[in-house]
Amino acid sequence: MTQVIFFIVLAIYVFAGAIVARFVKTKDDFYVMGERGSTVLIVGTLAATYLSAVTLMGIAGQSYAEGPLVIAALGSFGAWLGTLIAVIYIGRKMKALDCKTMPDFFEKRFKNNTVSIIALIIMIIGLLGYGVIQLIGAGLVLSSVTGISFEWMIILFTVALLVFCALGGMYGVVITDTIMFFTMLAISIIIAPMIMGQATFGEMKALADTIPFYWTIGGAEQRPLGWSISQFLVWILFFACTPALVSRVFPAKNDFVILKAAVIGVFLAPFMQVTVFLAAGGMQVLQPGIQDLDNVMVIGFLEHVPAGLGGIGLAGLMASIMSTASTLFVLTGFALARDLYEHLFGKGKEISEKRSLMLGRYAQVFIAVVVCLIAISRPSAIYWISIYAGSIFAVGWLPTIVGGLEWKRMNSKAATGSMLIATSTFVIIDELARREIITLPVHIDSLMISFAVGVLSLIVIALVTKPTDYELDYYHKMKQTSLSHSTIKSILAEEKGLVKLKKEYRQTMIISVAFIGIAAIVWGYFFIMLGL
Amino acid sequence: MNTHVFILFFNAFLTTLLSSGIVIWILRKQYLPVIRKLEREEEEKQKNIN
Repeated sequence: MTQVIFFIVLAIYVFAGAIVARFVKTKDDFYVMGERGSTVLIVGTLAATYLSAVTLMGIAGQSYAEGPLVIAALGSFGAWLGTLIAVIYIGRKMKALDCKTMPDFFEKRFKNNTVSIIALIIMIIGLLGYGVIQLIGAGLVLSSVTGISFEWMIILFTVALLVFCALGGMYGVVITDTIMFFTMLAISIIIAPMIMGQATFGEMKALADTIPFYWTIGGAEQRPLGWSISQFLVWILFFACTPALVSRVFPAKNDFVILKAAVIGVFLAPFMQVTVFLAAGGMQVLQPGIQDLDNVMVIGFLEHVPAGLGGIGLAGLMASIMSTASTLFVLTGFALARDLYEHLFGKGKEISEKRSLMLGRYAQVFIAVVVCLIAISRPSAIYWISIYAGSIFAVGWLPTIVGGLEWKRMNSKAATGSMLIATSTFVIIDELARREIITLPVHIDSLMISFAVGVLSLIVIALVTKPTDYELDYYHKMKQTSLSHSTIKSILAEEKGLVKLKKEYRQTMIISVAFIGIAAIVWGYFFIMLGL
Repeated sequence: MNTHVFILFFNAFLTTLLSSGIVIWILRKQYLPVIRKLEREEEEKQKNIN
């Protein structure tokens, strides 16, 4: 049964990806879907990329065992705010500067090969390390559920990702993400409420009698508040400039699409997560004593909801893995083909549209093969890299990006120094702490220390060095560029431009106000049922 | 009332309040003045025609 569901779902996703590939005609289609992304597509790809197996397996298991508030109340809150920063601040600013990928920003802002290469190395290690480890973890769980061997599972996933990424590029990823988003949404609006309904809110609240502190932020393990606050800081820094989320705005049609996607996407992030965490609490009522915590939601799908819906739940779980992985890997391929080969090695050379598109596709095939080999052979180094991979953007990129966007004195020397010092501090402190050579202050994470070191070194180097004429010119040009200007200009150029502009303005305003009301109703309802 | 549960749902609500608030602020600051100006110009043009 689970195998049948697995293959049907995989076939649907691959079929959709293959159809989309027919629309990819130009380089712009491949890299930013020709900047034609509508609100539905941008919301779909944002929400699908945001929700990964970490939510449906790792944190759901922790919510089941320790209580739904342990990660959600502060840790996930950091992730929601980080997503908001990634979309509405960093993504929107980079889109205004006509960046098609995040490394574009480093290239445009500093015009310095050293900065560009360091930024690219950070990106490739970060995306690959984080993506592969998610694929391995999810592959192991799905392999045990379906009975398909782990190696075959990875090969099947790789083939699917190849169809999305190599044939469709960003077009394929955005469209398949959106299809997958709807299966994931089904978990939050149908399956999770069904599990909660069976468990009943009364029984869920009563868990605090049998498991002390279950409904507290510290949870059953009574984790100290300092730990929760450090989770908040780690997650907000992690999400604020992860390329997986920031790059979701690049295919957007215009500023209004980004603004609407920010409101809807940032509502969906907590909605899709919290309902899963609460359902995991419901599972503690329905089936206490599950040992393999990663499997809590899978058991819920297979044993506590009707078979058809359970299949959709499993499809949603697969979607959460594939949608996040496809974004991570497509961006790695882009970094290789566009940012490394075309911009750095191919400087000054004209590359034809057709050749550029082929190059992009070759890079995707190369990445897929590398991912497949690493995931199947599981070298111990990948586990070591994965410790740092996800967070490397927070320490390596965030200070330089914010400094680059906001500070006149920011220059390539400060960027190089900050990126190198922060990332090496991150690895060294963490390694020393894990070998117990040094002891970190209570609840202070190595990420926070290295982030602070990165910011400090950036400020010091920028103060003792000077920006080049190019950097100063670009800074002033950047400050005069805004996405609203280009959006207004492009809409007014159309027929009945002012009418269209007013319509877009009104629609975005209505969505913004409406979602405040929707959020008040949804979260108010849950609070009344579980908190009063 | 469970304060811990309140914090979770308040934070979830606060997230949307923040994102909507920022978007409304952007709309009113960057778009509304332009729309008003264009409307005024349109009115002037109509008056001149009449």
